[in-house]
Amino acid sequence: MDKVDSEQARASLAEADRARRQVTEEIGLPRAYWWGMAAGWLVLGIFGAVLPWWLTAVATVGFGTGHAIFASRLLGGRRRTRQIQVSAAVAGSRIPVAVVGMLLGLVAVTVLVALALDADGAGHASIWAAGLVAAVVGFGGPDILRVLRRWVRA
Amino acid sequence: MTTAKFDELIHPSTRLSLVATLAAADWAEFAFLRERLGLSDSALSKQLATLEEAGYVATERRVSGSRRKVRARLTPAGRDAFDGHIAALQAIVDATRPAEGSTTRS
Repeated sequence: MDKVDSEQARASLAEADRARRQVTEEIGLPRAYWWGMAAGWLVLGIFGAVLPWWLTAVATVGFGTGHAIFASRLLGGRRRTRQIQVSAAVAGSRIPVAVVGMLLGLVAVTVLVALALDADGAGHASIWAAGLVAAVVGFGGPDILRVLRRWVRA
Repeated sequence: MTTAKFDELIHPSTRLSLVATLAAADWAEFAFLRERLGLSDSALSKQLATLEEAGYVATERRVSGSRRKVRARLTPAGRDAFDGHIAALQAIVDATRPAEGSTTRS
């Protein structure tokens, strides 16, 4: 220990911190989750256009319930890949809040876009709105979550 | 509370990165560690074996499909040793701060 000076100790601490940060970059949800969510979004949009409102409501509640059951293990953000499980201490407890908040925000965006398209006279407004948001979720879900994590310091 | 204790076994750069990576995870696959640390199979195996002999790391061999995978995790003893080592490094850095401050002022 006597042989280690402060510069070496500082370099070692930086090395350990870099390794830890590499692991924090693994926090997130699997790619399949985002594509599954995008597919569900699009299907619900189509249901909204072709089914009676009450059947669409039942399907939406069913989708939400299925999500709560099957995705609850993933929402912690510790199993983005099958190669590592980030520790609970490093992942923190705010990831599920960030994901659910993001999904609620996207629901609001979908409704607003559908209303705007409908007001503009577009046919099948809910399908177009759901398709747009599904593309955002599928392609940009991981990036949106990354930004949200930074905002909520999760 | 963590007791600062310099650990010669953990201190070498490669091993420190390996232990720091495992300390931030519940477990990690061999392939992940090899890629992130930029080590060859044999070099990583050697480092893991050294840490496993010391009781700092536990490895588990699993069969996934037709592939055999090795999963490594830090043991409680390894976690304690890592925390103690980081505390010791921090103590070395902290100890030099007042001296650096007085040098700057003079």
